[in-house]
Amino acid sequence: MGHTVLVCDDAIFMRTMIADILTAAGYEVIGEAETGVQAVQKYRELKPDLVTMDIVMPDMGGIDAVREICKDDPDAKVLMCSAMGQQALVVEAIQAGAKDFVVKPFQPSRVLEAVQRVLG
Amino acid sequence: MDLAKYAALFVSESREHLQSCNQLLLAWERDPQAQAPVDGLFRAVHSLKGMAATMGFTPLAELAHRAENLLDAVRAGRLAVKPEHFELLFRSVDELEDGVARATTGKGLRAEAASLVKALDAAVKKGAQGAQGAPGKGAQGAKGAKGAGDKGAEGARDERPSLDVKITVRSDAMLRGARALLALRKAEGLGEVSRVAPQASELEREDFDGRLAFRIRTSAAPSEVDAVVRSAGDIAGVAIDLASDEATVDAAALRQIRIDLTRLDALMKLAGELVVARNRLVELARASTDPELGQVGERISRLVGAVQAEVLEARLTPVREVFDRFPRVVRDLARDLGRQVRLEVEGGDIELDRAVLDEVADPLVHLVRNAIDHGIEPPGERLKAGKAAEGRLRLSASRERNSVAIRVADDGRGIDRAKILAKAKADGLVDAAAESLADDQLLRILSRSGFSTAAVISGVSGRGVGVDVVMTRIRQLGGAVELVTEAGQGTAFVLRVPLTLAIVRSLLVQVGAERYVVPLNYVSETIEFSATPITALGNREALVIREQPVPTVHLHQLLSIAGAVTSGRRPVLVVQVGERRSALVVDALLGQQEIVVEPFDAPRGMPGWFSGATILADGAPALILDAAALV
Repeated sequence: MGHTVLVCDDAIFMRTMIADILTAAGYEVIGEAETGVQAVQKYRELKPDLVTMDIVMPDMGGIDAVREICKDDPDAKVLMCSAMGQQALVVEAIQAGAKDFVVKPFQPSRVLEAVQRVLG
Repeated sequence: MDLAKYAALFVSESREHLQSCNQLLLAWERDPQAQAPVDGLFRAVHSLKGMAATMGFTPLAELAHRAENLLDAVRAGRLAVKPEHFELLFRSVDELEDGVARATTGKGLRAEAASLVKALDAAVKKGAQGAQGAPGKGAQGAKGAKGAGDKGAEGARDERPSLDVKITVRSDAMLRGARALLALRKAEGLGEVSRVAPQASELEREDFDGRLAFRIRTSAAPSEVDAVVRSAGDIAGVAIDLASDEATVDAAALRQIRIDLTRLDALMKLAGELVVARNRLVELARASTDPELGQVGERISRLVGAVQAEVLEARLTPVREVFDRFPRVVRDLARDLGRQVRLEVEGGDIELDRAVLDEVADPLVHLVRNAIDHGIEPPGERLKAGKAAEGRLRLSASRERNSVAIRVADDGRGIDRAKILAKAKADGLVDAAAESLADDQLLRILSRSGFSTAAVISGVSGRGVGVDVVMTRIRQLGGAVELVTEAGQGTAFVLRVPLTLAIVRSLLVQVGAERYVVPLNYVSETIEFSATPITALGNREALVIREQPVPTVHLHQLLSIAGAVTSGRRPVLVVQVGERRSALVVDALLGQQEIVVEPFDAPRGMPGWFSGATILADGAPALILDAAALV
């Protein structure tokens, strides 16, 4: 069985796309979250091997969600999904504990590279 | 530790932080949901607090601390930002700015600071009551944002070797700063990291160049460090060296040092005096028959030229330093006067001698105020005139040969020529028969000190427009002012100033027994009088130069000099300022010389044809002709 993944993004479109890329590569998407609060809850519940995390989400943004998740589990493997021009936010996310990041618009190969790096 | 020697550094760095605070506040006010400005503000105020506390300026540190609390509350989501918070923060920045200046003279904060501290506290408290149960998460961000670089200083004896690591993120990678930070985080897993350059805050900049250096004390082999750093992805290159010496200054620190501006001023003055002495030496060498003196003279001449160029280079400052204060000025003025104004800034990278830039700042503030007060109409009036409610104000700089043109242009109502003309006629400034005023005539009238423009241009403000002040300041710099205005379309002022004040390449001319200096900046060519066709332009004599009439100015007449040459072939200097030209007729050209402009207080009653004075190579004083006054 492949590694398990929790996909967090407030847009169904983005969640679907990320899930498709990962599923096609043999990963198992075991949950989705559309707010930061949900992301933290589902992480505790599902203990996935990897989390993909959007930065801007309603009800606790991605950066705070990373902070919460890493407080519980410093080894949590969180991959930030950012857009161009969000350098400062990504820097903050990494300082909060995110392990890597990908930049929208996504290229499947870049996403998979990053996932492999994070899962080591 | 003697803190006094850090005072200058404290002031300059604090001002930088506060300048950026103003920028960030403006950005935040435009987009209250944006996170980046809040973070930037938090960091800037936090740094200021730390510096002020270190310097022992407790009240200043205290005020910064309260402002930081408010920012922290917003960052952490404990407080929803409201317009009154922006106002509080703007006031805090003003107060901090003022406090920084006062602190170094041993004074505390102004009395208003106390009420500000209370207001900041109240705002934070109000927020806390509104959103209880949300634990303070914000502080963590601040801790996390601190550089990882400080750890290495602890731990007395560590036998592990130190490695200097330089990494380069691939140029096509996205968010290179974030990538570099990831690499740094990976390295931190191997040992103690120190001397990180650039600082973490630099990594957040979109123009980060992808290069990061740090030192790591680790038992891992260099090859292992290399592999771990590369595992961050998108790394183009890694260079690892055994740290040669713990005391090595890091490269970034070597590249730049701060210099007290007064030192540069002193250096510039000395370079100027060196130029004068050099000129004297060259003259002596020329008169002498000793070939060796000639050679030494020439060598010294070249060296002095190089010194002068280097000093000037060191003094060049981007006009952004002055432009940066305008977003705030414009915002405040627009608010106070009930205008909507969009400020566009261009050419901030253009560089000017610091001294020139300092002199230009005030006139620019005058012009920007005028544009908003008298130029740009209130929104209602604009809409009625078929314009957008929001007025546009453009501030731009561009380089023109040896000068820099700074433009302040608005799209407001324009200057009312008819009213100015009527007033000028009433004051006897123009011929009663005149029917219209060209832009340059208009400028000349506006810049007469005492011309009561406020009553004429607008009934809104009781303040004088101060064009005369602008004109005087710019002329003193050897610069020129130009005005273009069109009813209903707007007004533009162009300030042309020389790149540097201190040393001006000039042409030395003779009229009768007198010698005068004309800055070469404004001399477009030299021709010969009586070899050039003469015509009339209005009621003035003019020369025809390439089919264009250029009015003549006979200097001996203008300056009432007896014994001048009044017939035959004489040299003519064509002086050009902006679009305007005139042909100066003189007795003789004595050659080029670099002159040092000396401060000049014109005695009362002296005609306004001079912009300054100088000492010539032979030690005699001479007056500098003001090109702008002659065209």
